[in-house]
Amino acid sequence: MGKIRNPKELHSYREELLAKRTASRKVIAVCCGTGCNASGARKVAQALVDEIQKQGLAKEIDVRPTGCHGFCERGTLVLMHPEETLYQRVKPEDVPAIVEKTVKNGEIIAEHLYDDPVSGEKHVKEYEIPFYKHQERLILGKNGLIDPTKIDDYIALGGYQALAKALEMGPDRVLDEVKRANVRGRGGGGFPAGRKWETCRNAGRQQNALPPSGEAREGGSVPAEKRYVICNADEGDPGAFMDRSVLEGNPHAVIEGMIIGAFTIGSDEGYVYVRHEYPLAVKHLTVALEQAREKGLLGKGILGSGLCFDIKINRGGGAFVCGESTALMASIEGKVGEPRAKHIHTVVAGLNGKPTNLNNVETWANIPLVIEKGADWYTKIGTKSSPGTKIFSLVGKVNNTGLVEVPMGMTLRQIIFDIGGGIPKGGEFKAVQTGGPSGGCLPADKLDIPVDFDTLVEQGSMMGSGGMIVMDDKTCMVDVAKYFLNFLKFESCGKCTTCREGLRRLHELVTEITEGRATLETIQLIEELAATVEAGSLCALGTTAVNPVRSTLQFFRDEYLAHVNEKRCPAGVCKALITYEITDACTGCMVCKKRCPESVISGDKKQKHVIDTAGCIKCGICNDVCKFDAVRVY
Amino acid sequence: MENLYVIIPRNCTGCRTCELACAMVKGHDGALGQSRIRVFPTGVDKYVQMNCLQCAEAACAKACPTQALVRNERTRAVELDAGKCIGCALCEAACPFGHIRFDRASAKPLKCDLCGGEPACAKFCPHRALEMR
Amino acid sequence: MTVKFTINGVGVESAAGANVLDTARRYGFEIPSLCHHEAVVPYGACRLCLVEITKGGRKKLTTCCNYEVLEGISVVTDSPAIRQHRAMVLELILAEAPDAEPVRELAKRYGVAFSRFEATRAVEGEGPRDCILCGLCARVCTEVVKADALTFNGRGDKRGVGTPYGEAADPCVGCASCASVCPTNRIAVKDTRDKREIWGRELALVRCESCGAPVMTEAHRDHAVRIGPLPADYYKTCTACKRKSLSGRLAKVGS
Repeated sequence: MGKIRNPKELHSYREELLAKRTASRKVIAVCCGTGCNASGARKVAQALVDEIQKQGLAKEIDVRPTGCHGFCERGTLVLMHPEETLYQRVKPEDVPAIVEKTVKNGEIIAEHLYDDPVSGEKHVKEYEIPFYKHQERLILGKNGLIDPTKIDDYIALGGYQALAKALEMGPDRVLDEVKRANVRGRGGGGFPAGRKWETCRNAGRQQNALPPSGEAREGGSVPAEKRYVICNADEGDPGAFMDRSVLEGNPHAVIEGMIIGAFTIGSDEGYVYVRHEYPLAVKHLTVALEQAREKGLLGKGILGSGLCFDIKINRGGGAFVCGESTALMASIEGKVGEPRAKHIHTVVAGLNGKPTNLNNVETWANIPLVIEKGADWYTKIGTKSSPGTKIFSLVGKVNNTGLVEVPMGMTLRQIIFDIGGGIPKGGEFKAVQTGGPSGGCLPADKLDIPVDFDTLVEQGSMMGSGGMIVMDDKTCMVDVAKYFLNFLKFESCGKCTTCREGLRRLHELVTEITEGRATLETIQLIEELAATVEAGSLCALGTTAVNPVRSTLQFFRDEYLAHVNEKRCPAGVCKALITYEITDACTGCMVCKKRCPESVISGDKKQKHVIDTAGCIKCGICNDVCKFDAVRVY
Repeated sequence: MENLYVIIPRNCTGCRTCELACAMVKGHDGALGQSRIRVFPTGVDKYVQMNCLQCAEAACAKACPTQALVRNERTRAVELDAGKCIGCALCEAACPFGHIRFDRASAKPLKCDLCGGEPACAKFCPHRALEMR
Repeated sequence: MTVKFTINGVGVESAAGANVLDTARRYGFEIPSLCHHEAVVPYGACRLCLVEITKGGRKKLTTCCNYEVLEGISVVTDSPAIRQHRAMVLELILAEAPDAEPVRELAKRYGVAFSRFEATRAVEGEGPRDCILCGLCARVCTEVVKADALTFNGRGDKRGVGTPYGEAADPCVGCASCASVCPTNRIAVKDTRDKREIWGRELALVRCESCGAPVMTEAHRDHAVRIGPLPADYYKTCTACKRKSLSGRLAKVGS
């Protein structure tokens, strides 16, 4: 079918698709997001396709490679619809048995089921697994049903209905709805999207000027002034991959959001700025844009209205700083990715000096939902100040790592323990780092705070783009501060003195602490310097760079003092301050002696071994290989 | 006709008080090399005072890439806006008469601006060889 | 259009489009800076011109070189907070450019006699010890001279400035404007009777048609003729010979 010429045709096209996809036809969704791909998901999918073909079941069973299902700890994930049976850690050699037993005969193979790491309980249905049960997957949920390279999958689920509705509502009512829904930016700033759209829409507009583009007019519309919409997909926070999974798994949600935004603001040109390290996202987005154009959902006269809008993809060059809006726009313009002072906001003068509305991937993906279901529905989810859901990448020392989408207001404890399954290997929760390199570390007594934009800031951290790194008692908080300072020092554009020199010196000072060369003056200098870096830097990379060291000094000061006063690392991490020792639990098995790369372990068979600390490089291999837990680090 | 800077070489004795006055008033360290006005011997007991003629079509102003040489409408002098000067020395190269000179030490040209209307050289000349009329 | 606002409680005015730093200096308020020059677009890199600007009831510590004057704002150029941050910035600059005498003098003027940070560059042994990365050399070369021979390179603590790849750059015309505007006087220009050496390049000189003394570099002359309003005839004689010739002519007129 060629272009869909109007909303009515979109409805009937969807009806046709649904009719073809009868309820009795089963779908086996194989998670083929980047994470599961690394676990061999493509091979699993291919094996399924081949086996289904071999068994002559291709007409009744649809093997669908989809985007990320979120439960990355248990990849490769295979989700069978309509039963919602979930198999985890599937390998290609498991496929014949799965097809024979489960697909053909409905028999469950217990070894592929999710088993709770704490209770040992097994679950068959995806929605019963605690990891999924407590989530509200408004955005990510569709990833389990969509092949991102097939626009029909998206349309069959109701995709682009929100766009049709928006075109009928008109830009003023759409803007009103987005404002009432209080959609706050999901990229880190938390700025109300509706207000941003409005400022952009009104920028440079004079009285009695032409109406904004997008209103249905004969022969197409003419923009009053050039405006741009941009999707920020530069996602640079270490450990964050929410935007990647949305773009890989459901690119049309983002596209639809951008078209609605362009309609409201009066833009005819959009960009998705994707970081260079996301080739699969770029591939799926490219296919999606092409298919949207073919269907008349992008280009001139969208769905028969006067709206003309198209989107280009811009790939980043490997710079975290290009996630900052002014640096991003400089990069699109072909200049070096350096931020500029934001005395004049980009909504007024941004890309090429024109009014530009930039939003994050997840923000755009929320828009079709808001228009389709309405602001009243949307604001019932989450909290008053932060409605809706948020996708977090839950990583680190937690049992169930992956992407979780929860309503704002859920507590850290619920996310980390109920969904995340708690700390593995009997470790003890120590801290959770939220907001990436711009965020802070919150200790155990903050576990019951509700997660929303304002509460996190009040408590000493921030939402950021949604990174959530869990840390246990074997994590050194000084080392964590050092890690983030090193990252930002490397990623700083280097333009302003406070960030370029300030972060370099902060890293030097914190390194001194981890190497036992610091004094109390070092800590004082860190605090003074951090204040200036925060107050005087040109862009948010610099001003927020102090948050990890500041928050760890605030909540874990005694750990810093142990490093400084006692030259001791309580978590046993900072190499210069720890000692490896073999305890009486040693059975003399000689395994560590063989594996020691420096050959500093002595002792015969059945004799307690001894480490010569003078030559020990603290690599930790002896501890890793010891089956008797006889190595002590202190 | 007012605000006209007049040079009368016939009256010049070569005493170079004008150079001293200029260097002390306009120079940044008072050294004679900072003087904008220079006296040249042209024959036996004959001298000419060489100073910027504040040309109507000033070549220095035209050559300057930052428009740092601008005419002051009141004094009619071409003045240097030091803040805009980038020290490229094109003004020195362009002046057909060699009056504006680039000072490497301060990285700025030495430009006569008629001291804002009351030139020190004319004030201190003992022989009425320099006058504001 | 005139814009009225206050600096340290004093009413000031400025033309619309001007920046707060230039306006403040015009009125005699002292605000330090290293990367500012009126001939190029404000850059906001050194962070020394931090002041407190209150707009619409909200106070913010911000650089004023790149802050366009606005009706009704109030600017404060001195306060305990400003002094504290400014001193810290000076400590940082002192430590990154330990050999730059002008920086030491500026720091001393604002009460910073030494830096608590080690005087090192990011990678020991690499890069000059008197460059503050203000970019004035590159900005002037690109925006004013329009030769585009200098650029920033690298990112973060590996940032540097100079010719592309550190090699002698063909577009350089040898005007030495970069050396004139460099606040730490670190750019070396070597002039001999035969040539000018700058940024690793040797440039031929235009020789005075009377006495053969150097006038300017040939490349600079060609460049100025190409993009400027004056033809090459203006650039044929050295200053001394120009004055000698004029004094000779005036002598005939005066007698």
